[in-house]
Amino acid sequence: MNTLLEGMKGIFDEKLFTVASDQICAVVSDTISAGLTPERSNAINYAGVIEILAQQFTLLPMRFGSVMESTDAIGKMLERNYEEIQKNLQKVENKVEYGLKILCNSGKLREELRPKAEGIFQLNEEHNSEVKNSIYRDYVNKKLIEHRLEELLLSYIDSVIAQITSKIDQLNAERKFKKIITETTIIDAVFLLGKEQENSLIGIVDDFKNQYHALNFVLTGPWPPYSFVEITIK
Amino acid sequence: MSDNKILYSTGSLEEFPEEISKITNREDSHLKLTPNNSDSGLAKLVLTLVELIRKLVEKQAMRRVDGGSLTDDEIERLGETLMNLELKMEELKKHFNLTDRDLNINLGPLGDLM
Repeated sequence: MNTLLEGMKGIFDEKLFTVASDQICAVVSDTISAGLTPERSNAINYAGVIEILAQQFTLLPMRFGSVMESTDAIGKMLERNYEEIQKNLQKVENKVEYGLKILCNSGKLREELRPKAEGIFQLNEEHNSEVKNSIYRDYVNKKLIEHRLEELLLSYIDSVIAQITSKIDQLNAERKFKKIITETTIIDAVFLLGKEQENSLIGIVDDFKNQYHALNFVLTGPWPPYSFVEITIK
Repeated sequence: MSDNKILYSTGSLEEFPEEISKITNREDSHLKLTPNNSDSGLAKLVLTLVELIRKLVEKQAMRRVDGGSLTDDEIERLGETLMNLELKMEELKKHFNLTDRDLNINLGPLGDLM
């Protein structure tokens, strides 16, 4: 470990060293907390160290900007959280993270779903033909169609997630999904699995591309397990 | 870091300028408060919160309309209230020279606020 660290630099080109507690250690460098800003160069430097170490060791990436007062405080933190750290290390051992971003033109998707939303609305109006018309009622009707459109969009996204989940579960991978509805993105997903399963994962994504022509898929990785470390430091 | 972490992609990233602008320019969603613009910076922050609450109220109201638990008169009054709120919000945005985009803060990995 120390030989490897000698060839690398920390943030602000500071020397990297380890603080150990029994079988685990923290890789750290000195810094002035006030100067630690999430600038692009700092972030790349930080991620670069993690990536190199991840090739040889099982590691838990700490959040960028985690600063403690002294090496003594780091040692005590390791002791206090030893069990949790070990549990997380076992979870991510021999595994890597992959990210899947599912992109689409959500405006276009909304327009495709609009006839369905309007159809539900018209059906309800026919059942309720005695309702008087006014600008306020029209306003509510317009908002109601938009509301149903959002519900249909969410339901569509849920169906895509369910399909992906059923395939990913065959790889025994851990997975996390975030529904992010912007103009271009609908799903951000991360998976934790063995590196030897990378080709199987690519095959699954390729199958989905053939199934969902309106969607675009961007699969990235392998990454250190950024999204699968679950420790609340005591 | 490895140069290329993209294992598989379909479509061209140029089709998604919004994503690229988020990666390359995150300044738009920042609140820039300086002694010279504290009024407009604060207005942006306050109106963002007001707009978020207005949208939440509207969403909850539509759930109730959709659930069929409101009478015609209640829907009528609701429509008037929501419409007036939206008009008032438009007035405020115009007054402070803000657009819908200005009030939609990008929360990074969590997506857009609204």
